[in-house]
Amino acid sequence: MPHLSFLPEFPVATHPLLLFGVLLIVGVAGGELVQRAVRLPRITGYVLTGMLFGPGGLNVLNERLLSESWIFVDIGLGLVLFELGRRLHLRWLVRERYVLATGMAESALSFALVYVALMYFDVPALHAAVAAAIGVSSSPAVVMLVARELRAEGQLTERALHLVAVNSVVAFTLTTMFLSWMHREYRADWITVVLHPLYMLFGSLILGGAACAIGLALARWLGKSAERQVVMLLGLVVFTIGAAHMLRLSVLFALLAVGLMLRNLDTRHDIMSVDLGRTEQLFFVVLFVVTGARLALPQLATGGIVALVFLAARFVGKSLGVLALAPFSGARAGSAGWLCLALTPMSGLALALVQETTYIYPDFGADIAAILLSAVLILELLGPLAVQVALRQSGEAERQEAA
Amino acid sequence: MSADLVFHGSQRSTMGVELELQILNSHDFNLARDAADLLALLGKRALPGALKPEITESMIEVNSSVHESYRTLCDELHVLRDAISEAARKLNVRIAGGGSHPFHRWSDRRIYPTERFQHLLRVYGYLAKQFTVFGQHVHLGCADGDEALYLTHMLARYVPHFIALSASSPFQEGEDTAYQSSRLNTVSAFPLSGQVPFLLRWDEFTAYFEQMRAYGIVSSMKDFYWDIRPKPEYGTVEIRVFDTPLTVERAARVAAYAHCIARYLLAERPAQPSREVYTVYNYNRFQACRYGIDATVVDASAARPVALRDEIIDTLRRVAPHAQPPGNADALASVAADVQAGRTDAQWLRATYKALGSINDVAREQSTLWMEG
Repeated sequence: MPHLSFLPEFPVATHPLLLFGVLLIVGVAGGELVQRAVRLPRITGYVLTGMLFGPGGLNVLNERLLSESWIFVDIGLGLVLFELGRRLHLRWLVRERYVLATGMAESALSFALVYVALMYFDVPALHAAVAAAIGVSSSPAVVMLVARELRAEGQLTERALHLVAVNSVVAFTLTTMFLSWMHREYRADWITVVLHPLYMLFGSLILGGAACAIGLALARWLGKSAERQVVMLLGLVVFTIGAAHMLRLSVLFALLAVGLMLRNLDTRHDIMSVDLGRTEQLFFVVLFVVTGARLALPQLATGGIVALVFLAARFVGKSLGVLALAPFSGARAGSAGWLCLALTPMSGLALALVQETTYIYPDFGADIAAILLSAVLILELLGPLAVQVALRQSGEAERQEAA
Repeated sequence: MSADLVFHGSQRSTMGVELELQILNSHDFNLARDAADLLALLGKRALPGALKPEITESMIEVNSSVHESYRTLCDELHVLRDAISEAARKLNVRIAGGGSHPFHRWSDRRIYPTERFQHLLRVYGYLAKQFTVFGQHVHLGCADGDEALYLTHMLARYVPHFIALSASSPFQEGEDTAYQSSRLNTVSAFPLSGQVPFLLRWDEFTAYFEQMRAYGIVSSMKDFYWDIRPKPEYGTVEIRVFDTPLTVERAARVAAYAHCIARYLLAERPAQPSREVYTVYNYNRFQACRYGIDATVVDASAARPVALRDEIIDTLRRVAPHAQPPGNADALASVAADVQAGRTDAQWLRATYKALGSINDVAREQSTLWMEG
């Protein structure tokens, strides 16, 4: 019998690219299926596909494959935050203070209410604080992608995106500050207690600043060519993600910072308004499939009543913040209610925040995850729908017209 | 005669302007969809004139009140500009002048949700969305319908002037069209565009209108998209060939130019309307759209080609005695200076594109120019 040495050895080892391709194909098919069958946002379809194939379902995407796919998820989330940063108009936030004020108010109220509610249900103070801090963030990925899918445009869309950015920054800053508390709880030395949050916060900011400086200089030199600038910007995103990992900084904050600075420090307008849409879509599909795979229906039970309390307190806090300042917003009457709805999603960003802030103390991470995962699971399924309803009802989603 | 064709005579030598303006987003400077929010916000303030929606959600229309003087018109337009800019800043959108948005795609536009605009979409299909171009209309007061028809026909030969002086739509869908005003090509696609029929008495005109209405072709004067049309309810003649200039100052100047010509025509009655003007009308109109103030047009009465630039300078001289009140002469002086120096909005837009290298930059600079003057 001939020795078939040219054939692969069995069992065949999966190649990461095969995985990426499979995630894309099943994701896009699942999204389409859900959209056509029940007219839910495609994102919900990506998540359901992930849940179906993930460890909690058919286990095709097992734990090993999921950990290998983390790099694609990182790129996806990095791109979301980069794009969010690029959308933000800092001068507007500062000049028309109500958006910033609303962001602060809804962040503070949702944090406070969730913290108090969790304490009431006997969750330890540190756990309650970190979970509440993570709960401050709304999912930028869900809001941005549903808006894109519906081709929504207008004041509600714009305000929702700006509020999401503000609460993401607040959530990141709070969780980073609580690192000190966490370190003290686990009896780390005082240098760690003091320096770790500072390193995370300022290190990520400086990394973002450096990437921005490189981007601006390169853009000026490359000139106004969409082709060259698209490649340069994507390169910058991937570079910053890699650098943040190497330096153990926050991928999320660094990328938000790059986007924000590129937009707001580009006084000579060297960066073009290029559309990264189709390229990004690849990573966004994978992002949601993998996020879905990390969730499993049985988790619903583990979070139990605490998860529901978390969700209710968070929603009430955010809504109170938005509604309290609505009269000063200059937006048309009635839109504030839809804005509350648009801020409900939680998704990959929350999971990534858990991961980024707790990887040093895995036990603590597991405790937090137990509270958060079921909440994220519920919102992962309902969040996109909430945003869709908000954008449709406010009239900002694309209408079907004859021509 | 139906009530809407009763000519409500107004004071001769008054003028008013309507400006259609672009609403841009502030991240990539494409057209935005915030007309309703902008109008709602502006509705909370007491402002002169009026603010209205237009056919798509990316446009608003500003109407001045009635003026005799260029100075008061200019002042009022400044007040309106500042109020609109302030509201736009509050909503994080931008406002721009210019006859076309340099790179928007018509298929992205959404019809403003009123019955009339939805009706236009049903009737005209994609033309309704392509109609997202931005014009300035100048109203000139007339004592009665006959006078309005006289003025309408006499103004026809000045249409190339109006086009060239306001031309500000060189770009469409991201491309240089080679025209100074590409906007009028869009208007020409409509079946009821063109010129008013050659009728000189208001009763004849009314009969014509009633006939068209009886055929079911039109239901109101609004359905005629003529370059110049009588507007009986305001008691005016409305010139509709101007692109919205990039600044309110230029808008006021070109209005003052038309106003002076009208005063001259009505005061001196230099000639009787003639069909001859219309034999060269479309050719001259095209030349002005294509080449702006560098166009060569045919003078029908003298039966020879003339440089449009010379004709404008000549006209400025002839109407100068009618530049009343006195401030109006300043407007004519600025028009003359611009024409002699070859300064036009279309040229400014092309120069901006050349200097900055991206079409989004053009839209941004266009809005900065309008909002900050």
